[in-house]
Amino acid sequence: MKAKTFLAFVAPSVASMLLLIALPLVGVVFLSVYQSYVKTELREVTTEVPLFGGQTREVTRTVPQPVLDENGDTIFIWEYVGGRNLREASEIEGVVETFRGPFPQNERLGGKLNHVYKRISNYDFWSALEFTLLYTFFTTPAILIIGLGVALAVNRVTEGLRGPLVFISLLPMIVTPIVSSSAIFWMFLDNGIVSVILEQLGFGQIYFLSNQISTRILIILYGIWFAAPFAFIILYAGLQTMPRDPLESAMIDGANAWQRLRYVIIPHLTPLLAVITMIHVMDAYRVFEPILVFGTSVYANSVQYLTYFVLGVQDNIHKAAAYSILTIIGVVILLIPILRHTFKEQKAIN
Amino acid sequence: MRKRNSFFLTAITNSGLGLWLFLAMFPFFWMFLISLRTPVDAFSSNPTLFAPVTFKHYFHVWFVDEFWRYGINTAIVTLATVAVSLTVGCLAGYALARYGGRMGFWLLVAALVFRALPHVVLLTAYKPIFYEMGLWSRYEILIIVLVAINQPFTIWMLRAFFRSIPKELDEAAMIDGCTRWKAFRLVIIPVMWPGVITAGLFSFILAYNDFLIASQLMSGDMTTMTAALGNYMGQNRSMERLMHGIAGSVSVTIPLLFLILIFQKQIVEGMTAGAVKG
Repeated sequence: MKAKTFLAFVAPSVASMLLLIALPLVGVVFLSVYQSYVKTELREVTTEVPLFGGQTREVTRTVPQPVLDENGDTIFIWEYVGGRNLREASEIEGVVETFRGPFPQNERLGGKLNHVYKRISNYDFWSALEFTLLYTFFTTPAILIIGLGVALAVNRVTEGLRGPLVFISLLPMIVTPIVSSSAIFWMFLDNGIVSVILEQLGFGQIYFLSNQISTRILIILYGIWFAAPFAFIILYAGLQTMPRDPLESAMIDGANAWQRLRYVIIPHLTPLLAVITMIHVMDAYRVFEPILVFGTSVYANSVQYLTYFVLGVQDNIHKAAAYSILTIIGVVILLIPILRHTFKEQKAIN
Repeated sequence: MRKRNSFFLTAITNSGLGLWLFLAMFPFFWMFLISLRTPVDAFSSNPTLFAPVTFKHYFHVWFVDEFWRYGINTAIVTLATVAVSLTVGCLAGYALARYGGRMGFWLLVAALVFRALPHVVLLTAYKPIFYEMGLWSRYEILIIVLVAINQPFTIWMLRAFFRSIPKELDEAAMIDGCTRWKAFRLVIIPVMWPGVITAGLFSFILAYNDFLIASQLMSGDMTTMTAALGNYMGQNRSMERLMHGIAGSVSVTIPLLFLILIFQKQIVEGMTAGAVKG
């Protein structure tokens, strides 16, 4: 295909991405280095304050008032602030100060590190990043193991049953995330079915959503439940392409089920395990719905939810833009290994 | 010995599988069950499988809270998103599959980076820009935003699919005197539908499931069903409100169940296309 024809064919797609993805990224950088506010001035305002018995008194106070232009509209001021938003959002000064000390006396290195960790995870951004990383760290191996287990199990079942099994397994992944996280949330309410059953079994009333540890565990379990089907489907497809010969010769050589799994099946699936890890890490980085639904951002926050909160609830676009910049830096760091791999492959082709 | 071992193995894998199926299904099953109950029965301290059935939450959500309006919005937005992103994506996917130059590679890399971006980053820019331009709460805006966000994934997937169509097919047409565009229209379009349906399903799921963007760019009567669920959330709502949220959630889930039932094969193929074939 000629370059000219190529450009004509990709033009609409490229235009949509340039206009609505690339350009907004530039916009975010722009927003993050500015601060905007309504221009105000201090003016003396006299108001009549009611006393008692219908009497009033005049009070004069100096209050900030919006400045109006000739049309009677408020004036918006855009002020260039450079890296200030970014510094404030990342709370870099606090972090640096924490590392400077003073550290608690009479503590070994472990205690000091713990002190630093506690101080830093008190800052909004760092605590959101902390939970995002914890979420990624715990869900990734879990979905690989569960996905592989389910794929192996479904592979042993008779052909006719596999369709319904795949259907049920797809549910957690395909159903609207906001609905699936709500479905879990409702089971763990103080009078939800899981809490009630645990109480009847003699565990006492457990308030799952009112302390940090259980909230975090719940969100991570949700993440595993939500993403395991994805790992399962891909590994299941991988098992279908598995050649029969190595497995059979392993059996003839007397390998037991575990040895066959360890030395024949897993090596065959390794590239797929890598792909799943890569895609899941990208998705885990933008975990959002469970944090919104569980309504517990005090205990467990994510970078994406924090930005959403600052943007949608606090309505502070400049701070949200600064968080977005930090998010983009994170994405780039995540993508480095993948991009390096892609470039190597491209070089090999050329 | 071998027989007994494999019996144990089957017992273990099957019970594990059973546990997984129960876990995968139960939250939805329970949600559906309690959506038909009065709040007292739904969150009773003595949960039962059977309780008096009531449809009043559904009635309230659909006709008092006017969920039907949001349903129409969702239908318009999702269907338009699927149509536009497939049209645009097919052209690009086909070109990427047939073009061997550098530009194609860079476009794919850029798409990969865009695919990894959390959507809230883009939203941060959309909000002030669309607000300044007065483009608020309009179908067109939500549709083109969803199309653009869908593009990276769509072009990767369709490129993989178009590569599986033999090159000789359109090249033969071009030797017979067709232009590239004519060859695409006459030779490729008739055989591309299986791949297009698969890509369309994923566009559909993304647009239908989107909460973040619709909840921020649409307001009032223009919200989609998924974004409207936000109205029922939060820990401090009354029991009635909570029950309405459950009925609304079930309503949002049902179309997806039919979608998986009908297109299960294509969904599985689409998910594995990129990963397994490389």
